[in-house]
Amino acid sequence: MNPEFRQRLGNLSGLAVALILWMFYAVYFSPTQGWTFFLQLTVNGIILGSVYALIALGYSMVYGILKLLNFAHGDVYMIGSFIGFGVLTLLGGPLNPAIPVALLVLCMFVVAMLGSGFLGLAIERFAYRPLRDAPRIAPLISALGVAFFLENSALLLFGAQFRNYDGFDLISYNGIHLGGANGVFIQYLGVIVIVGAFLLMFALLALVHWTRLGKAMRAVSFDREAAAMMGIEPDRVIAATFFIGSALAGAAGVMFGLLFSQIYHLMGFLAGLKGFTAAVVGGIGSIPGAMLGGLLVGLVESWARGYLNGNVSDLVVFGILIGVMLVRPSGLLGTPALKKV
Amino acid sequence: MRKYLVAAVLAATVAVLATAAFGSTKSPARQSSAGAATVTCGKTRTIGLAAPFTGPAADIGNQQVRWAKYYVKTWNAKKANKNKQIKVVDGDTQLGVDTAFAVKVAKSFASNSKLLGVVGPAGSQEVVASTSAYKGGGLGFVSGSATRTTLTDGHTDGNRRGYFFRVVPNDDAQAPVVANWMTKKLKWKRVYIIDDQETYSQGLATSVGKILGGRGVKVTHDSISQTDSDFSSKIAKIPGNTQGIYIPWQLAPQAQAFGQQLKAAGKGNIKLFGSDGLFAPGVWKIAGSYDSAFPYNPTDPAVKKYISAHHGNGEFFGLPSYVAAQVVVGAVTKACADGKATRAEVRKDIAKTKLKNSILGFPVSFASTGEMHAPATFGVFQIQSNGSFKRIG
Amino acid sequence: MSEDTPGIPDSPTQIGVDQWVERSDENIERRRGLAGRIGRLWERLPPAGKLAFLTPAILVPFLPFVSEGNLFNYGLFILIYALLALGLNIVVGFAGLLDLGYVAFFGFGAYTYAFLSGTHHDKGHVYTHHWDASWSILAAVLICALLGLFLGSSSRRLLGDYLAIVTLFFGQAFVVFTNAADPYGITNGSNGLANVDPLTFFGFTIDTTRGYYWFLLGCVVVVLIVLYCISESRTGRAWKASREDPLAAEMMGMPVNRLKIMAFSLGAAIAGLAGSVFAAAQTGAFPQNFSTQVLILIYAVVILGGTGSLTGMIVGAIAIIASNQVLDSTSPPNVGRVLFYAALIAAVYFTMRGSWARLVAAFAGTVAFGLVVHAIVDAVWSRGTAGQVTSGGFLTGLIRNWVLLPANPGRLAVYGYLLMIVCIIALVQLKGWWRLVVLVPTLYLTAFVWENLLVQQPAVTRYVLFGALLIAVMTIRPQGLFGTAKVEIG
Repeated sequence: MNPEFRQRLGNLSGLAVALILWMFYAVYFSPTQGWTFFLQLTVNGIILGSVYALIALGYSMVYGILKLLNFAHGDVYMIGSFIGFGVLTLLGGPLNPAIPVALLVLCMFVVAMLGSGFLGLAIERFAYRPLRDAPRIAPLISALGVAFFLENSALLLFGAQFRNYDGFDLISYNGIHLGGANGVFIQYLGVIVIVGAFLLMFALLALVHWTRLGKAMRAVSFDREAAAMMGIEPDRVIAATFFIGSALAGAAGVMFGLLFSQIYHLMGFLAGLKGFTAAVVGGIGSIPGAMLGGLLVGLVESWARGYLNGNVSDLVVFGILIGVMLVRPSGLLGTPALKKV
Repeated sequence: MRKYLVAAVLAATVAVLATAAFGSTKSPARQSSAGAATVTCGKTRTIGLAAPFTGPAADIGNQQVRWAKYYVKTWNAKKANKNKQIKVVDGDTQLGVDTAFAVKVAKSFASNSKLLGVVGPAGSQEVVASTSAYKGGGLGFVSGSATRTTLTDGHTDGNRRGYFFRVVPNDDAQAPVVANWMTKKLKWKRVYIIDDQETYSQGLATSVGKILGGRGVKVTHDSISQTDSDFSSKIAKIPGNTQGIYIPWQLAPQAQAFGQQLKAAGKGNIKLFGSDGLFAPGVWKIAGSYDSAFPYNPTDPAVKKYISAHHGNGEFFGLPSYVAAQVVVGAVTKACADGKATRAEVRKDIAKTKLKNSILGFPVSFASTGEMHAPATFGVFQIQSNGSFKRIG
Repeated sequence: MSEDTPGIPDSPTQIGVDQWVERSDENIERRRGLAGRIGRLWERLPPAGKLAFLTPAILVPFLPFVSEGNLFNYGLFILIYALLALGLNIVVGFAGLLDLGYVAFFGFGAYTYAFLSGTHHDKGHVYTHHWDASWSILAAVLICALLGLFLGSSSRRLLGDYLAIVTLFFGQAFVVFTNAADPYGITNGSNGLANVDPLTFFGFTIDTTRGYYWFLLGCVVVVLIVLYCISESRTGRAWKASREDPLAAEMMGMPVNRLKIMAFSLGAAIAGLAGSVFAAAQTGAFPQNFSTQVLILIYAVVILGGTGSLTGMIVGAIAIIASNQVLDSTSPPNVGRVLFYAALIAAVYFTMRGSWARLVAAFAGTVAFGLVVHAIVDAVWSRGTAGQVTSGGFLTGLIRNWVLLPANPGRLAVYGYLLMIVCIIALVQLKGWWRLVVLVPTLYLTAFVWENLLVQQPAVTRYVLFGALLIAVMTIRPQGLFGTAKVEIG
């Protein structure tokens, strides 16, 4: 058993113990007691978490390969969401869609993913590629610039008014009752989102582990120079990474719109921050880590909303982030990096 | 080298204090004479329009802009006013980003020697932040949406009497209307109140909660933030037997999302009750919900014309800004009757405003505090199944 | 640093020749022409000379004839941002740490001043401290320095991007603080503190914008001198050493952790000073004054100016704040337009790789192209040219006869914007004469988009251009205007 694996196992068992303890506290000792409430929040958290996980994946992949905090990632997600909304409106809107609903939803996903993917390519080409060899702070600032540019372009093009997907009108208000009428309730839409997110994540895992491109991605993220010497073109691999990460963000944008209805030009900032938190908690650079981190952030947020009065969920999420970074800087599933000083 | 530098720092510090003293030539004359400068009116008179053209509140801000400019456009198009054209100078306060923008706007309005009066700003915090700049320039300003009660009490947030006026009733007028409707008409016993953590929302939530609590209603308080979209966990917390949820928010799409998620969680039978910030027909369309809002006269030709020009969307949040523009333009015109005017004159004429009939549905005149005289109150509306708002009280 | 910048050199590295020597040709070449000559002259100037150059640069635009409003909007804000940038520069530029919570120190400074020199009552508590500004500013500076110490001590364990996130959280914590201290009425929640005294020193009061301007100018000069001394001192050199290579610095016996904490603390103190003067000038402190947007503006100043350079901060503040203000809906007509077209021509000059002949060709081509398109559209679809020029001023006639102005641009302008972005992307991919061919319609399209969409929403356009500017500066000159290109040991 190598030490890296042992550390991950330790992290995961620690996490499991913490979750179980929390569960018992929440169910038996918290002011709002009961299994139903706890499970309902957990289900809500998993739904939200799968959206965050998709965003976190893009962050994590880009960080893994370029060591770059892509601040603009949240805004790619926002644009994806708007593209999905555009398709929805073009094809008749939520109340009287022009084509069958399943087809419509598929169309929204495909177009949004392609659109965001190409946007990601363009961002990489314009804002990051010229800065490959610049000081570290340069691409960060460039990323800030892209974020600013995208947010305000969206404001210019779509206007400031919030848009409503009204996703429940489109799909269904119904869902699955678990444990009777007063039990846990999952809408069909929630099921679709969870299944969709996990399908995409497993497709990504398969791509990274079983294809030539995935192999090249791993090689470049491990050591770009060495990969280049082995005949891999780092620029192409990086572009592919951006395309895939951004497409996932676009899918997340559509899911978010369908689930929570409202989208607006500044929605990317906070979502990006949460996605980043998820990536760090899971271990930045690690794909299963980003998935785990996303779910955790979603769960924590949901529990915080439910068990705490007022609006402190963001604070709790970021507090946990800081705790993780102080205790386990490499995250739950990350590779412990050798640090100077 | 080091000695020189220390000396330089010392010298510079002394210089700073000296210039400070120089710049501090206390000028009481300037303060009291603020707004005394005479402006020749001529064919064009200038007023300022401070509103959030951009930023997170740009949506409601632009409603105000469109309504205010609609009034000015109608005014300028009248033949009788051919020689009394009104020119509007825009000021983007970016409500919700940084109050410093509101101060900047106020400063540039104050230093624009042609400018005689101001419509806006929109937010109560902007009013507080920019008061000293407007007072320094002697400008009167009429807001079409700043509803915080303490703005006009003369001490809590600073004194701005004689400068600040508003054509909307304050929060204290709104809370009793809401509470009365809940307890007397709807007979609610269990009410859930959720604010959006903004000043406006917290003020209303607290006042309504207090009145309801005094009447024996079981009130639970919670909050969300304006950036939230996922309400599912908050909704899970709301007991199924709750009769109504009071949501004094400012973003109608957020209320729409909330309503949808409420319904999707199987709690669609709980009614929502919103505030004036949510008055947006066609955006918030959860049928059966209640809303308290600025009253307006739907039969007024100006209102009808606006609605038809905007494809049925009345954008009523901005409607009071029409009246604000009306007040300012009226005062400027009156002050300009003799061909020249001062800002002090305009201020006095604003205070003396008497509109016999306004599109608000009642006459408009101001008390010395800057508030409107009665019968300024709120109306209660209910959302119909086609998404329109019907006035029910 | 090796895992950070594993650049792949284009030419094979010669053994025994280090990268600085290898790149020296490139470095010299980068500074050819007039700009290079001026740049070299500037670098040769002694610091006192640079300061002597800069002072008029700040002063000239603000001679007494400037109106009070402009002095406030340009003068005061430039100086405040210059102060903030100077403070942030210590952390980012000297010590090489990323501090994304910097704006919180600005806020704490403002709140401390507002609390100590003002009256406010809330929730049954009345606070009436009317401290002399000399004491309350001192208190603000000290409190911020202490907070900086606290935040800086977290950098003991955290490095790089993780530190950035912790500091970002600190910024969020400030927002929570403004709301959490509410029950005691200290911060008055989201309402903020109004009723703040103007600056009063021993009985002298500054209550005019001009007075604040002079006072702030003095502050900037003092801070500049102090920072210059520090940056040239042992501490300054140690900062730079620990920025370049913390491990080596530690080995040389430098207390790296203490240096980092010092940088945080000093930067925070300067932000506290800026905050307290800001609160006095604004006569209030409100939570929104310290939002992320402000942080981004400060960063833009630091980056454009060039991290590590003191003069750069001043120039950056002037450039960023002035352009931010010029592109505002309240500024007079044509100022923004002229600036935009000038920037466009400059951009074309760069894409033509500095060839004047090609620039003239592109320019003439665009003019001709525009006239032809205008004539055709006018003949075919007269509504396409029936629109009005927005705030055209003396340029109205020119614009109306050259740019297409549909009576109701709406959708058309939006599609134009998207098409423009696609065209620009295509432009970068193309080479040689093809580039010129695509360039002409792109330029015309840009003019179309500006006249039909951007000019009508100047406040949004401002940020769009601002974002584009940041990207462009980073791609063309990542070290900013006045920063020195660093040697990265690959």
